[in-house]
Amino acid sequence: MEEKKVNSFLNRLKENAQKQTNYGGEMEITEAKINAKDCPNCGAGRAKQDGLTHCAYCGFEFFNIKLTDGVYIKKEDNSI
Amino acid sequence: MFGLFKKSKDSQNGESTPEWYSELQENQQRWFAFLEKLEAKMEEFATAAIPELKEIMQSDDDIYKRTFHRVYSGVNGQLNNIREKARDVYEEKVHDVYYNFNSQISVLSKHHDLLSDFRSACSDRYNEFENKYDYWRKQIDKTQERDLETEYQKILDEYEAIKNKFNCTQCGGNIVIEKIFLIQTYITCPYCQTQNTFAPSTLGRNLQNIARNLAEQRTAHMYEAYEAEKDKERDLYHQRHELSLSIIHEKDKKVLHEVQLKMDDLEEQRQFAIKNAPKLHQEYLRAMYDELNKITPDLKEHNEKMYQNQLQYL
Repeated sequence: MEEKKVNSFLNRLKENAQKQTNYGGEMEITEAKINAKDCPNCGAGRAKQDGLTHCAYCGFEFFNIKLTDGVYIKKEDNSI
Repeated sequence: MFGLFKKSKDSQNGESTPEWYSELQENQQRWFAFLEKLEAKMEEFATAAIPELKEIMQSDDDIYKRTFHRVYSGVNGQLNNIREKARDVYEEKVHDVYYNFNSQISVLSKHHDLLSDFRSACSDRYNEFENKYDYWRKQIDKTQERDLETEYQKILDEYEAIKNKFNCTQCGGNIVIEKIFLIQTYITCPYCQTQNTFAPSTLGRNLQNIARNLAEQRTAHMYEAYEAEKDKERDLYHQRHELSLSIIHEKDKKVLHEVQLKMDDLEEQRQFAIKNAPKLHQEYLRAMYDELNKITPDLKEHNEKMYQNQLQYL
């Protein structure tokens, strides 16, 4: 009798845990990928020496923040 | 004369126990029986839950093992309920009863020791129960352990597979992914200098979540060595204390001298353990953070800050 009670409690617990949905929705599992962003204004590519913040050809602003030194991005990556 | 002394004489002669003693005895017996039942329940529940938890840990394909953790906290909650029941009953049937009688019976009464005995017997039994709870709690905690080495190996294998796979989206030149990136990163094409954006896979990103635990797993033996050294201090103290008690009635100078030598030796060992434990702790931390830096070299600067911070609390 006792044995049954414990097992039914565990089974209910398990069932509920499996039924419950995760906060934030389904998890997306993605593969590694690579892409490049061209300037949406003139279509030119972005090269290392031109910096990341502005298009070297037409001056289009990709983002309007000043980059500081981080793990991967350095302050040299600001466009002049 | 006037029968004044009769009453006190009677009560002093009487070897019989006072009438409240039977109530105490009954309470004690019930308390013991109650804890026995709770312990059996706890054991039955834990032994049923542990294999279930292990199985869920294996079968849960969520990257954060969330289903497992839900069941895990449910199991812990149930165990906690049992513990709380014991605590509530202890408060009511032992603690309150003791203080109730204590206020009525003078400490000078020769029956007062019955009351103290009641309390110490019950609280000793309660400690025993708590130890059992701790034991089962630890056993359940152990089901959380997972094989991080194989998970780490999977990440390394994936990295090996993708590191030469990508080409520049602009010129098609080969781009080598030089290390395991944890976040999206700009990678410059070595041929045309275009800034490509590399997005690591979910598996790869997860490396920073398991890194710390993996490093701790790898250096667990050093942590155990530190814990053992830390516990030595109390052990040695108690050993020395036992010896010091044993010579209270000793008259023989030779024996006294021998025991004193032993005590001095124990004290020396104890002082050494006190000094040595923090050293071992620091050695463990250094080794652990070295491992962590090896696993996630990009986070070295951040890791070192955590290390420096932990050093302050040795």
